[in-house]
Amino acid sequence: MRLQYPSDIKVIIIPCTGKIDILHILHAFEKGADGVYVVGCMEGDCHYTNGNLRARSRIKHIQKILDTIGIGGERAQMYNLSSNDGPRFAEIAVEMDEKIRKLGPNPIKLAQNTAA
Amino acid sequence: MSIRVGFYVCHCGINIAGKVRVEEVADFARKLKNVVIARDYKFMCSDPGQEMIEKDIREFNLNRVVVASCSPRLHEKTFQSACRRAALNPYFFQMASVREQVSWVTEDEDEATQKAKTLAAAAINRVNYHERLDDREAVVHPDIMVVGGGISGMQAALDIGNAGHKVYLVEKSTTIGGHMLQFDKTFPTLDCAACIGTPKMVDVVQNPNIELISYSEVTEVSGFIGNYTVKIRRKPRYVKEGVCTGCGECANVCPVSVPSEWDEGLGHRAAIYRAFPQAVPITFCIDKKDRAPCAIACPAGINVQGYVQLISQGKYREATRLIMERLPLPGVLGRVCPHPCESQCRRLEVDEAIAIRDLKRFAADHTNLTELEPPEIQECSEKVAVVGSGPSGLTVAYYLRLKGYQVTIYEALDVLGGMLRVGIPDFRLPSQVLDHEIDYILRLGVKTRTGVRFGSDLTLNDLKQEGFSAVFLGIGAHDSLDMHIPGEKDTQGVMDAVRFLRQVNLGDKTCPGRQVVVVGGGNVAIDTARAAKRLGAREVTVVYRRSEREMPAYAEEIEGAKNEEIRFFFLTAPVKILEKQGKVDGFECIRTKLGPPDASGRRRPLPVAGSEFVIPCDAVIPAIGQKTHAPWADREPDLIWSPRNTLKVNLRTMQTSIPYVFAGGDAVMGPATVIEAVAAGHKAVEAIHRYINGEDLDLYAKQVEVREQPGRDWQEIPDGLYRKSRAHPQHLDPKLSATSFDEVDLGLSESEAQREARRCLNCGLCCECMECVRVCEANAIDHRMKEKELEVKVGSIIIATGYDTIDPTPMKQFGYGKYPNVFTALEFERLSNATGPTGGEILIRDQNGELTRIPKRVAILHCIGSRDVNYHEYCSRVCCMYALKYAHLIHEKVGHDAQIFNFYIDMRCFGKGYEEFYERCQREGTHFIRGKVAEITDQAIKPEEHGKLITIAEDTLLGRSIRIPVDMVILCNAIQARSDAQEVGRIFGVNQGADGFFLEEHPKLGPLDTATDGVFLAGVCQGPKDIPDSVCQASGAAVKALALATRGKVEIAPIISWIDPDVCAGCQTCIDLCPYSAIEYNVRKGISVVNEALCKGCGSCAGFCPSGAAQVKHFNEKQIFAELEGIIDSLNSVGI
Repeated sequence: MRLQYPSDIKVIIIPCTGKIDILHILHAFEKGADGVYVVGCMEGDCHYTNGNLRARSRIKHIQKILDTIGIGGERAQMYNLSSNDGPRFAEIAVEMDEKIRKLGPNPIKLAQNTAA
Repeated sequence: MSIRVGFYVCHCGINIAGKVRVEEVADFARKLKNVVIARDYKFMCSDPGQEMIEKDIREFNLNRVVVASCSPRLHEKTFQSACRRAALNPYFFQMASVREQVSWVTEDEDEATQKAKTLAAAAINRVNYHERLDDREAVVHPDIMVVGGGISGMQAALDIGNAGHKVYLVEKSTTIGGHMLQFDKTFPTLDCAACIGTPKMVDVVQNPNIELISYSEVTEVSGFIGNYTVKIRRKPRYVKEGVCTGCGECANVCPVSVPSEWDEGLGHRAAIYRAFPQAVPITFCIDKKDRAPCAIACPAGINVQGYVQLISQGKYREATRLIMERLPLPGVLGRVCPHPCESQCRRLEVDEAIAIRDLKRFAADHTNLTELEPPEIQECSEKVAVVGSGPSGLTVAYYLRLKGYQVTIYEALDVLGGMLRVGIPDFRLPSQVLDHEIDYILRLGVKTRTGVRFGSDLTLNDLKQEGFSAVFLGIGAHDSLDMHIPGEKDTQGVMDAVRFLRQVNLGDKTCPGRQVVVVGGGNVAIDTARAAKRLGAREVTVVYRRSEREMPAYAEEIEGAKNEEIRFFFLTAPVKILEKQGKVDGFECIRTKLGPPDASGRRRPLPVAGSEFVIPCDAVIPAIGQKTHAPWADREPDLIWSPRNTLKVNLRTMQTSIPYVFAGGDAVMGPATVIEAVAAGHKAVEAIHRYINGEDLDLYAKQVEVREQPGRDWQEIPDGLYRKSRAHPQHLDPKLSATSFDEVDLGLSESEAQREARRCLNCGLCCECMECVRVCEANAIDHRMKEKELEVKVGSIIIATGYDTIDPTPMKQFGYGKYPNVFTALEFERLSNATGPTGGEILIRDQNGELTRIPKRVAILHCIGSRDVNYHEYCSRVCCMYALKYAHLIHEKVGHDAQIFNFYIDMRCFGKGYEEFYERCQREGTHFIRGKVAEITDQAIKPEEHGKLITIAEDTLLGRSIRIPVDMVILCNAIQARSDAQEVGRIFGVNQGADGFFLEEHPKLGPLDTATDGVFLAGVCQGPKDIPDSVCQASGAAVKALALATRGKVEIAPIISWIDPDVCAGCQTCIDLCPYSAIEYNVRKGISVVNEALCKGCGSCAGFCPSGAAQVKHFNEKQIFAELEGIIDSLNSVGI
């Protein structure tokens, strides 16, 4: 398909979105990521029964934490995608890229830069 | 030991190097921590590329390897093998995808190079934290399962069986063969599908290694590669496999006819059927749905659908015999039953309910009971007394006698029949009908004692003395209710309806008066009025206090009475009877209006003040209800009565307060219908039988109570069913009928009855008439067969579940379903097939819908639902070729003068011999028009178009629109995924692609594998393909499965969870999270432990473990953080 999508998107592979620990995502923000999104199987189609549903609730939880600490919950998102839907993958990448660009850089990074 | 990383970036020709400056990436990597060597190379996956890695490992003592190239799905295993060859544990390898995730999807060269660098840095950082892991080895079960018995499934099963491995072939339908066996010829060689297909079917059934499990579906798959446990649901065939000889006698006698799925609805089959004569297994199968609603509605539980079907076949005696299994009085109920069955009849959804009662009467009238062989009775010595010879008593007597009991009926009157005899006049129920049916019951050996009145001549004690084990009281309700108005008691000319009808029925034909008023609105009132008319009353008036709508009498009786000039005063209530010299001299009434509904749900009549009026008359007959007359009640104190003056019983067993005494009919229910009395009789029969055999009746009553609700899975009502009006029996001319006691209703004629019976929709499909059981000499039929569940263990599974074709009905422009001579491809195959509905003649429908006409002009429309963004974007891949085959077959069978028009988009004749076949058809004179048909219409605008179907299209080669009139249109409708593909995919863990077909592991390099190891695909379930391709794929899948089975063991990736025992706090949260129940709690150590055999490595436990003790190997916290940090830390250094 070779659909183009923004090069800021970097993929980290995990066995199942149910494996996502809240810490993984918070760590990414701590390190300066401007946004993180999790892409799991379609709901009801989880290869491991219900991992994607757990991921969804964890993302919701992370969004609350991010809101509380002033980073902004919108920077973390959950998407569901079927493994054959390349066009949607590219679409999500563009969507997320635009959303984060609108929000601007991660405040933690700014703070670190100022401190330095 | 220090970490020494080797990094390699692949050019992939220009695939990567065209966008990513690979040398720059290698230079960048070379400077990263622990990187000993960094190289770029044209094709890392090539032999020299792999050798380079192996050599470097040895030469530079590398203990980590990172390759930045394509997707790990493609070559991770390749490079892991290279590491293994160089004695490096393959899990010390990491791959960065710089083709699929970078060069192919990034426009800008700088951006691409930067991204490639970050991904390389991430992989290098991650590999630092990799740990040595060893593949686990599992034993592979040597047996293999193939799901689907079409050509692919058969081929795979045969290949496996021939290799000496056991194979289970599971087929959903009653026969193997699949779609291919529905075809006539096969392109391009024109082999007969049956000639090449049936030998394969026979091979399958004769191969000792193949266990064919037909008419079954897989319901559950558990386990993993090499060790699957499969649950299979075997649907009941109701015919025993191995016992059935396939003679087909059963189908000849089966009265049910439904459209045949095998013939695509063009032909019919019976409820007991076999798809086609060469079916494998040869065993017939009965198609049963839930019990028909009419039979559920029948209080007596008569198999209504069964006898209606038997009548449609002219088998009246068999119909009567079937009715008599639940009802000893078919002729009686065929006349007086309130037919609750008819209001449940689903034919009502089309037009009118089947005239079930009239059909019952017809069957009874056309059966000579004296010729009917009585059933064989196994005698037993216990005696049962039945008091009362009404419908409930006769039912109890008949069915207890059939069970062998010695039954004696005691009757107060001199004649038998109870209310049937003395309550219903002859013009509605002729006494001979009752006589014949009672005679039949008595022929079985039921003894009678008439003129013996219970209570005065006979007591319960007497019966006990005489040695009766049980007594049934069916004493009826033979006493009229009073109107409680002045003048009712002692005026001459007032006589209650029960007494009046009894006198009339016993032969006293005295006219009650010149002007007769009948009070009431039930059947008794109407019977009374009509009887009075027949006895010579000049004027008969029925007075009823509600409106006609509330009248409980049957509508046809009210209608008959009106025709006989009987007057009706509705909304009129009695006030008093006027008398003159002790005789009736008028009936004073008051008008009423309807108030709010009362307890019975009917609106309560309220008197309108001042509206009193007098009906002149000399006789008044109240018919307002009945009660049981039991002046002996005091002498039987143990028998408890309800406040409503009925006998108190347990309604499930009909047992009274005295254990050996049972009761039913009007004496229990109050005045009710005959069929309800029969129903009560059945309950009493079951209970008395159990009582005599010492069973606990209370327990039995509870069992009856919990009996499940009947299901509602009935045969679908076909679309476009012609409306046919209900048969109405002839009635006697009212002028004649009002003067004689001859039966008014003349019943249906034979042709009317058969036509009426054929209107039945066969809701239950099999009507359980048991004709098949009667003719089956092999005794192979068992209507009580139950579904079975089977469990087998296999090492691998091949899915070959095939395809459906798209229903072209929603594509209105092609007129399928609207114009009778528009056919689908599979329909044409059946039309052309020698075992099809026309015996292989290509015929189209005439104006009656019968296949009789020969088509001379035929349009074949390609790409119906394929290559169409509105339906399926893909090409169905076989249509062009079968369209050519059709053209050839039509020329061959109909004649070479036939004009055939192929409307195509592109001709795709790509296989061996295909192009040559195309040439041949062109030479045969088939017209090829490039263009898709826009519309099929019957609106002629030119004389030659009249009576034809006109195909309107654009010929895109000529660039002009055309109209071609034809006789027949064939739609090459698309192949599509099975409608249950999603469910099947879920069971086997196989995904569907966007097109709905099962998704292979890799479109080119893994077309037989799926995402689930040990589950393979074969045939069209993976995507449209022709027979040779399907067979190839089947053999390929068989080899894949055999490779596993013959090696006997398999490596399983060690990527599973592990709980660090030193860190685990024993909170057990992970135990609930694990979808495979793979974590157990070790009480002694107070920690949770992963069962490695069950763990699938999803990481659900690791995602939540509060202490971080649970980790997925190869995806542990350190490794993921390292990858993340690798990306982010490198961003600055690459200059973003």
